[in-house]
Amino acid sequence: MRLYDPTSAAAKRTLTRAARLADLEGKTIGILDNGKLNAIEMLREVATLFEQRHGCTVKGVYHKSNASAPAPKNTLVAAAKEVDFLITGLGD
Amino acid sequence: MSIAAARIHEVPDDLLSAIDFCYQQGWTDGLPVVPPVVDRVDAMAARDGRPPETVIARHPATGLTLSLHAAATNAMMAGCLPEYFPVLVAAFEAMDRPDFNFHGSTASTGGSAPLIVVSGPIVDEIGMNADVNLFGPGNRANSTIGRASRLILRNVFQMMPGVSDKSTQGNPGKYSFCIAERARDNPWPLLCTAQGYPDGVSSVTVYAGGGFCNVENHGGNTPEQVLGAIADAMANYGCITLGQSVVILAPEHMRIIGNAGWSRERTQDFLFTRAKRSVDGMKSVGKYRDSEYDKQHAAGAHRLVETGFLHRGMGPDDILVTMGGGDAGGHSCFIPSWSRGRGSLMQHKAIGASANSN
Repeated sequence: MRLYDPTSAAAKRTLTRAARLADLEGKTIGILDNGKLNAIEMLREVATLFEQRHGCTVKGVYHKSNASAPAPKNTLVAAAKEVDFLITGLGD
Repeated sequence: MSIAAARIHEVPDDLLSAIDFCYQQGWTDGLPVVPPVVDRVDAMAARDGRPPETVIARHPATGLTLSLHAAATNAMMAGCLPEYFPVLVAAFEAMDRPDFNFHGSTASTGGSAPLIVVSGPIVDEIGMNADVNLFGPGNRANSTIGRASRLILRNVFQMMPGVSDKSTQGNPGKYSFCIAERARDNPWPLLCTAQGYPDGVSSVTVYAGGGFCNVENHGGNTPEQVLGAIADAMANYGCITLGQSVVILAPEHMRIIGNAGWSRERTQDFLFTRAKRSVDGMKSVGKYRDSEYDKQHAAGAHRLVETGFLHRGMGPDDILVTMGGGDAGGHSCFIPSWSRGRGSLMQHKAIGASANSN
């Protein structure tokens, strides 16, 4: 008996990580708010720690219209140009 | 999966062994599957008319794709007959639209399941059940089309419980959640007509359903009484959000509404008007959010939106309402949307419209 395999093979796309920052001192931060109930409060708290400990500055706050959908590409492209690193998280 | 890349397993020529093999591979929903033998899968895929490698849906987060061939493989495993295949294909083409939010609705703790509602002549052509025990077992088409969608989510899109499917509790519809709209004694235009499809064209509507709420009312004898009970279910604190709704009216309830001359639109208006909670009430259970209230009451808000209240949905059009079920019994149902509202919006599509032939 010959059976087809019903599962998918791995997706054909290459994902790479951004280069790691050499240090955090004085870097600019972006906040990606997913819109969940406590997300922006939690993310601002995290950003404050970076400000206090590493002299970082919050330069941009970005938003997702849908917490469970991938961030729009143009949002990520804009953030990549404007800030050194981005903080995001669920915030439920 | 392109047909050229399709992987084939040689197993002993014994049906029970083949079923065991499918279990061992982790290909099932926990129930036995029909082993996807090559010739039968090919016949299923050929039903569409397009090349089997044609991609009909994509996972926005992982990039995984669903080909006609993979859909046919899983449809066969679910027990589908080839004549059911166009419904399944149209359902996934509808789910592929960004507003359905395929990823979130299948990965979320909310535990939704894609409800598939079939409308039009194909219902009788393939022998679907729109009648007694509508959401229950017993009809091959209903059961296996719904089941096939789950097997595709599991096997093709790899939405595995505990890994990528993080449903807190899930819901029974995650085994199968497919119904047909009842045409018999239905006083309203069928959904496929209301959706604007030409005569003779059937449609499928997909909706990320968060569960099932039975609405019992054997005492109400007016549309206001019957629909008042349904609106109350829609507005319960556990369900109320800005999300959409599906309401399936029992024929007994529909007779009361239809005999009073109420249209679908009037029914939607009534439900939207009544399915609401006060701001103070929402605050009492900790679910009030300024942003949601502002969104519903912003400039351009629907004329029926009432100050000081949060309605379910953004307007009457957010409520899909039609008839289904057996003649006897005052049991309608309300199916809430997935989780917190508008993360997924229902979609509909003509059945067979993308295929060259079927």
